[in-house]
Amino acid sequence: MTNHSASLFSIATGSSEPIYRQLVEQARRLIAGGQLAPGDAMPSVRDIAQALALNPMTVSKAYGMLEMEHLLTRRRGLGMVVADAPQQSHSVATRAELLRPTLKRAALEARQLELDPETVLALFAKIMKEKS
Amino acid sequence: MNAPIIELSSVSKHFGNQQVLSGLDWAIAPGQVVGLLGRNGAGKSTLIECLLGLRETDHGSVTIYGEDVNNLSDAVRARIGYVPQKSDLFQWMTPRQLLDYFKALYPRWNDAKVKGLLARWGFDQDKCGKAISKLSGGEMQRLSIIRALAHDPSLLILDEPVAALDPVGRRDFLRELIDGVIERDTTVVFSTHILSDLERVALDVAFLKDGKIALQGALDELMEHARRVVGPSALMAGMRFGGELRRHDGRDGITQLITRGAGADLQALAARESSVRIEPMTLEDLFVEVTQ
Repeated sequence: MTNHSASLFSIATGSSEPIYRQLVEQARRLIAGGQLAPGDAMPSVRDIAQALALNPMTVSKAYGMLEMEHLLTRRRGLGMVVADAPQQSHSVATRAELLRPTLKRAALEARQLELDPETVLALFAKIMKEKS
Repeated sequence: MNAPIIELSSVSKHFGNQQVLSGLDWAIAPGQVVGLLGRNGAGKSTLIECLLGLRETDHGSVTIYGEDVNNLSDAVRARIGYVPQKSDLFQWMTPRQLLDYFKALYPRWNDAKVKGLLARWGFDQDKCGKAISKLSGGEMQRLSIIRALAHDPSLLILDEPVAALDPVGRRDFLRELIDGVIERDTTVVFSTHILSDLERVALDVAFLKDGKIALQGALDELMEHARRVVGPSALMAGMRFGGELRRHDGRDGITQLITRGAGADLQALAARESSVRIEPMTLEDLFVEVTQ
């Protein structure tokens, strides 16, 4: 069990994605990818609000949604912790589904550039193999 | 819904032959954190000054905590904090004198908070004893903010509070706003041009245009549902969408429209017609579309 700090999250202003949604998506990805493991303590709303200079209500809203999705759970005295995940939530299909919004945006741009799927997929495969 | 803290109804104000506010209605509920947006010269400062009773209106009424703004009780006055866009007053005083002067005017004054803010925001002994006229623009603005926060107001009104601050100063200010103000359920109204700051702290936004509040709503909802729809005019002409804010028929036969209520009908249309494109919008996009 790890105690995570607020540096877990980062947000971008000037995006068409509301900030609470950015936080939700990041937490989903971190949980699906295993960086956030069941039982891990999440940073407090106040810590995140201070670290990212955000309205605490925005952070609460994100935590509330993650709680509703059973990804986080409230533990007395501990605040929010990562929920014990059902096994299938880590399936390839579930994790791949999380990539859909990003890929949809890429697909839109690809169509605007009049690129065919083969070219795009080849490029994507190449990028995947690059060390970031 | 709680009774509004601030209520403006059919407020009008003109200067010379220029109508700045024309029949403006606006209500602000307790605990709201509202960002007021509008182009340069749209009348944001005038609106804020009328709202506080600092400027007489031509028509209409303004109430704060249920009291007529031209006749506020001392108790209500003591609950309001105001940071003007630019303050040329008290230039001969030192920050120390200014704060002592205001302290005497308010029944409640948070000395510990003032001390903490002065220390954190770079007002050392030396600077506290310097004439305000010798301070930089950013320092004057910080002092103005400290003065407005010192009596723990339950309603805080800020007119371009960060305009003179650098990014570090702005971040310090946002953190103070989050920690010392928003967490205490203070109602906050602030005008700004810096959309990134607004996105961080405002839960609601209001756009001032043509002397009226042209659009107001929860920031998250606006961002989630606002869309730009682009398609052939021939196809779009007969179509009406819920929440349409703007429609522009281009000479090139392309229609662009902005809606705040993109729903299933729009998704279905885009799926059916490959010539119709639906794009999400940023706050900046929305600002441009709503205020131009």
